[in-house]
Order: sequence, then C-alpha cells, then structure tokens
Amino acid sequence: MNLDPKWVPMKWPCGPLEWARRSKGKNLATGLKETIDAWAQPAALDILKGTPVNCLVVEWADGAPEDAAQQEAVRALVEAGRGKGISFVGKVAAKDVAAAASSAHAAGLAAVMVAEPAGSDLELPAILQSSRDKVAWESATPIFCVTDNVWPGVQMDTMKGDTATAGPTGVPWVNSNAWFSLLAPLMASGKAIWLDFDPPEESTVAHPANYPLAVSDSAVYGSRWVISLEDKLRDALLKGVPQAAATWSKTCETLAFFETHARWRAYKSQGILTVISDFSGDNAFLSGETMNLLNRRHVQFKVMERSKALLTPMPGEKALLWLDKDAPSPEQTAKSLAFVRGGGLLIAPTYWGLAGVKPTRRDPSIAYQVYNVGQGQIAVPDEGFQDPYQVALDTQLLVSRRNDLARLYNPATTNCHCSYDPVRRQRLVQILNYSAATANFVTLWVNTQARAARFWNCGTKEPETIKGVAATPGTDFGLPPVSVSCGLEIEV
Amino acid sequence: MGATAALVLARPFSLLADAAPAGRVAVGTCHQYGPGVAPVMSTLFDQLGGLEKLVGGKTVAIKLNLTGVSYDRLDHLRQGDTYWVHPDVVGSTIRLLAKAGARRVRLLESPMGSAEPLEEFMLAASWEPRDFENLGTKVEFENTNFLGYGKKYARFMVPGNALMYPGYDLNHSYADCDVFVSLAKLKEHFTAGITLSMKNCFGITPCTIYGDASPEDEPSPLPKGGRGPFHAGNRQPPKSAPQMINPQGPKEGGYRVPRVVADLVAARPVHLSIVDGIQSIAGGEGPWIPHCRVVKPGVLVAGTNCVSTDAVCLALMGFDPLADRGTAPFETSDNMLALAEGLGVGSRDLKRIEVVGTPISKGRFNFRQA
Repeated sequence: MNLDPKWVPMKWPCGPLEWARRSKGKNLATGLKETIDAWAQPAALDILKGTPVNCLVVEWADGAPEDAAQQEAVRALVEAGRGKGISFVGKVAAKDVAAAASSAHAAGLAAVMVAEPAGSDLELPAILQSSRDKVAWESATPIFCVTDNVWPGVQMDTMKGDTATAGPTGVPWVNSNAWFSLLAPLMASGKAIWLDFDPPEESTVAHPANYPLAVSDSAVYGSRWVISLEDKLRDALLKGVPQAAATWSKTCETLAFFETHARWRAYKSQGILTVISDFSGDNAFLSGETMNLLNRRHVQFKVMERSKALLTPMPGEKALLWLDKDAPSPEQTAKSLAFVRGGGLLIAPTYWGLAGVKPTRRDPSIAYQVYNVGQGQIAVPDEGFQDPYQVALDTQLLVSRRNDLARLYNPATTNCHCSYDPVRRQRLVQILNYSAATANFVTLWVNTQARAARFWNCGTKEPETIKGVAATPGTDFGLPPVSVSCGLEIEV
Repeated sequence: MGATAALVLARPFSLLADAAPAGRVAVGTCHQYGPGVAPVMSTLFDQLGGLEKLVGGKTVAIKLNLTGVSYDRLDHLRQGDTYWVHPDVVGSTIRLLAKAGARRVRLLESPMGSAEPLEEFMLAASWEPRDFENLGTKVEFENTNFLGYGKKYARFMVPGNALMYPGYDLNHSYADCDVFVSLAKLKEHFTAGITLSMKNCFGITPCTIYGDASPEDEPSPLPKGGRGPFHAGNRQPPKSAPQMINPQGPKEGGYRVPRVVADLVAARPVHLSIVDGIQSIAGGEGPWIPHCRVVKPGVLVAGTNCVSTDAVCLALMGFDPLADRGTAPFETSDNMLALAEGLGVGSRDLKRIEVVGTPISKGRFNFRQA
C-alpha cells in the first residue's frame, strides 16, 4: 500500500485514546465524551458522503493502556470507511512503531503517522509529522505533516466586530501559513504537505471559525489542511443542527472547488524576490516573521533554503534577500555576485562584494548602504537585520513596486498569490479574503496586458468573464465581491 | 459653534480683507483626461499672463493632492479619476512649466503615515513617475512627511496675527524653491467644507512634528499616523517647533483645520494655484467618507492667488465663497477663505476677482445636486 499525495485528509478524533488524552485537560465541554464516542461509530461517516474527504486520521497507538481499546473501538469505523473508499491513517506515538504499524495494517489502515523517521521494514508506509523547524525534508515519505501552524485570519486583537482595524503599516494584521507552504515544494519537490492546525478555542457552532479560509489558505499555496473541526461543531453535525450542517457544507464546497482546480497546484509560483534562509534555530523567527510581513505587504516572493540557494539558474529573478548572518559558500558568493553584476539586487546583512566599492544612500528613509556592482546593487542595512517589520518594509522599497507582478486596490484583508503555467501560457492570481466580512470593490492590477480574465469565485462551478481595463502599464480587473477566495485565469 | 469660535469669527477682518489682493482666475472647460488637457492648461496660463515671468530659470515646487493611502479607490475607479489630481494634469503642468523655462520642478507630497519615497507611493497607486521625467525639465520627487533630504526643517512664520500656531516647521523643499504651486482637486471636505488649492496645503506639514505620535521634544525620525493634533488640538507639537497659540481653544476640527490652512497659506505663500475639476467626487475628500460619488464638472481652474482661485472654484461648485459657518459647504466648519482673507492672503469677493476664460455661469456644476 502506498501513500497517496492526493488524499484529502481530516482529523477524526474518537475512541478511548482520544478521550484519555482530552480528559486530562481543563474545562471539559459537556458532552465531549459522547461526541468522541459517537465519532467512532460508522454512522458518523455519513457526513462525508459526497465530499472530497477521503482520508481520516485517527489515534492508533500511544503506548498507553487504552491502545487496545482504541484499536478495537475504531475497527468497525475503519471497515465501514474502507467500504466507502476512505483511507485511514493511524497516529502512532508508541515506542514500538513496528508493532503499531503491524496492528494498523491488520486492521485495514493505509498508513501510520509518526514523529520520527521510521525504518523501511514497517508493514505500512509512514507519514512524518513534525514541527516546521524539524521537518526531515530528505526523508523518502511522499507526505509530510507539519505542526506549529497558525489559524489563518485577521488577528483577533485587530478586529472591531467584523471589521479589521489597521496595524502599524495601515493594513490589518493577517495570520497565514503561506510562507511555509511556499517553502515546502522547494524543499521536497512533488511531495504533499499537510498542515496540521486546529480551530481557535473561541470557535462555536453559532460563530464558527472560518473553515473555508483554512482550506483556502493552504490550498492556494499548494498545501492541504488536515481538516479539524471544533468539538461542539462535530457534536452538532451528528445531531443534524442546521447551522453546523451549513458550516460543514461550505467547508466541503471549498474543498471541492480546489479539487476541481487541482491543476492549479502544479502552476509555478511567481515572485520578484527570493527569500533565502535556513529557517531554523536562531534564524527561524526573523525569517518566518519577515515572510509573514512581506506577504502582508503584498510582496510576491519565492522561498529558498540556504544550502540550496543560488545553485540553480534564476530566470526572471529581480532580487535576493539573504537573511541569515551565516555567510554564503564560495560558490554561492560567486553566483550571487554574478547575479548582481547582471542587474540583480542582493539584500544581505553584510557586504561580500569586491573591496573598494564606495556605498551610497538610495533614499533618506531607507537606512541601507547601497553598493553599485556591475549593473546591479548590493544593499546592506546600517544596523543589520533586526526588526522583521522594518526588514519587510525596506525590502519592498529596495526591490521597488515597479517590479510588482500584481497589486490589490481596496484590499481590505485580502492577499494574493501569483502563479504561472508555462505550457498553457496562463497566469493565475488567487485572492484570499482573511476576514469574515466580504471584500467589496477589490481591484486586481496585473503587470501584463490582458483583455479579459476568467474569474472563479470559490465554490462556483462556472467562471465569470471579467474585462480588463488597460492601465499604463498592465491591466486592472474590477472584481465581484470576494467572500473567501477566488482565482483569476489570465491568458498572456 | 462654540462661543470662542463665534468670537474669533466675529473679529473685524474687514480692513485686512479689503486690502487682500484679488488675483485673476482663469477657468477652462475640459471634459476628459488625455491629450486635450495640455492645450486647455496652456490657455489658462496664457490668460493669467503667461508663466515665463513667474517660473523662468526658477525652481518650482508643486504640492500634489494625493491624499490618503495609495491603495484606496472609490469603487474600482483610479484615484486620479476621483479624488487625486490626475497624472495627466500633473504631466501637462510640468510640460508647460518646462516650456516657460522652469529650471527644475519638484513634485511634493506627504503620503499618509509614511516616509517611503514619493516615487514608490506613486507606483503603488499605479502611477509611473518616470512619465514625469522626460517633459523638458529636471524633475525631482520628495516625500515631505519628514526631514527627507534636508538637514533641518525650514521654519515658516505666519505674518500678522496667526490663528493657530505662530509658525510651522516644514520639509526643506518648501523653502528651497522659488515658486510654490498648489496642484489640487475640485472637491468637498468632510471636516473643512472644501478641498481646493488652499486645503491641499494642509498636507505640506510633516507628521514627524504634527502627527499623532510625534515625540515631546524633537521631531520623530519617521512619521507615524495622521495629523490628529491639527484636528483635535489634543497635544502640542514637539518643543522644537512653534507651539499652539491657545492650547485651551476649541478642540473641534471644523474650527481648527480651516485656521491651520489659513495660517499655512499665509506662511508659505502659494504663487500658482491649479485645480483639477475635470472629474472628481462629491460628498467628501476621499472614498473613506461614506456616500461619496463620482462627478464630472469638466473644468480646470488656475490663478495666482489661492484665496481668489478657491473662491471661483466654490462658485463653480455651486457654493457661495462668502458663506458663513452653517451654510453649505461650511455646515460644520468655518470658512477657510474668510480666515485667509482676514490674514490678508487674498480676496474671496467675486466682485473683486477677474475671471477669464469660461464664465462661472457657464462652468458651474452644482456639487450638491449632482
């Protein structure tokens, strides 16, 4: 049995192990035990009927006394699910992974999920689950499951009712897992990335978390969210509460939309800037926050792990942001200088060009020394990279908006991701709305001429043709209201 | 209106007002942006007596009206088609200034809450600053919301009886020029009634000094926030700058903002006012004001006295430039033209103002009925 990168996964918390783990927590919700028990019953699978969800993640072995009871409790669920074409992944935290995999295999599970790379002699394939900074990218597994993600949306302390208020940059503070999703395919090309995160505690049936956004924020950037529903919603779903059914239906519509447009996943991300770091240890905070903030500023960037940076050609690249204090290898140094001499911009914590070049200031508001090297420039901050907010702001100005691929007007809490299909010669701009309120009168500007675009509002089955309005340069597209996400296919 | 405000307005301005100069104002009809703008503007400048004497061999600073942030639009419409001066008007102005012999043109604005280069602010709004660079004269850009390229702020004292502050500390660009142009939009203003060439000068003040987050002693290195203290009078600028004359005075924007504007145009005289009324908005100064709507007055206006120019613009908009507080468009504010007239800046009396080109009666576009 092989792992299928096309699986659409969902957490399926149920059984004695789940209860044992959850019952240790404080403020247990009334009826939680009943919900956990009910979700172990085959009847619970009815909510998956007609949805794209085809892979359930269940607790399997924790090295706890409840392991046997757990495996017994979910046996019928697995059997019924398999009959419906659903695959099961068992989470294993027990030390004896081989035994757990063996029992899972015997019970009809398709895979196990483990924290450490497992040996090749397991009876089932293993999905590696780890935090962002500990992903074993070199592992052979075709699916990585990553924790330590954020719940996407507008940060709650910047909300007044349903309206987002401004952060220090004048745009609302948005949480997104975008940058990690952008990094993953570069680190493990062709492999699937599952993002593991749960809805916020304040989520309720009446005021559910923005599940469609959680799906979209992962899918737009090429990952998959391991769907995770809040306990009361799960309970209400089984009881047929209409509000819960509507929330679930909308979530599944969103999932189905991205499955219908699965080819979008293969489009190549476009960026005018490549952010380079090892994204770990002391560099994790600066790199992660800088990319969050670049994304908030609508800077289109790509991501490159430091050890792999500059070792392959970079056609169309305008700028590199080398974030780590660690110096590049001699080969990387040579390639970065060649990139600069050819007209590129390198933003780095220290100057590593030829001696004797006298730096200048580009603008009084940007505290950088700028070295002209060949046809390009190396920009070095006066006081190193310290505040990610400032790094993102300065980077946007140094790279210049003249190089933007896309811009949003009246963006409210929206953001966009640009990608490209070189075969179809088609650009794709996907727009995400991070607020619960619909974004109205958003205008998308793209830097290419286009007469029209096909506008796919998330959840719809047919596109709408939107005429482009020529700008100088580029094209404006006035968008219909954007609720969660949308995609514009633009022929170039 | 508070008692203090009423008293101040009731001050006998008449002597100064009568002595205030009344400049000639030229009005031209122009119904769309594009190549037709430059000929109309050229005629306007000819009707004013030509620009050569004013700008020949000189450095000309132009305060643009690019209010708000770069990404706000009214519906899907571009800023220049609604609440910013249009780039075609900017380009035509530069071209005509160059033709008249201007040695250098500096484009100036203080983008909200930002110290970013002005070119970047323009690019963010999908303007191309390079379009302004090959029009026959050297063109420079500066964000005047902070110290910018200067070594120190330039101090402009208000001649006579200043209304709010005895003087203002501004970016060096407002001093390092021979000619100062206010290039504005024909529109209303939520707080001050109108935004024309005078109110455009509200934005020459740096938020490092007059902003919400300026420090107590010295200007901040970079601007943060907007010009809340001008509206609310809730705090003094840093001690390094001239202090508010009457910190106990009314805290209401409709009282304070027009006075700041009057002070500013008295302290930093405007040599040439140009108002873009080809297409604009009614109901406020930007899309953040509810119920703003697009209007197409189809006029361009220029004059050598900002008060007189704005008086003609008010008349073109269907308002009375002599209106007092409580009368449109000054329902909730004092009339900034009256205040500037009281400072001797210029006359708002249409009987004293020579209007050339399109007569007001023919160019009138009633904003409140649009």
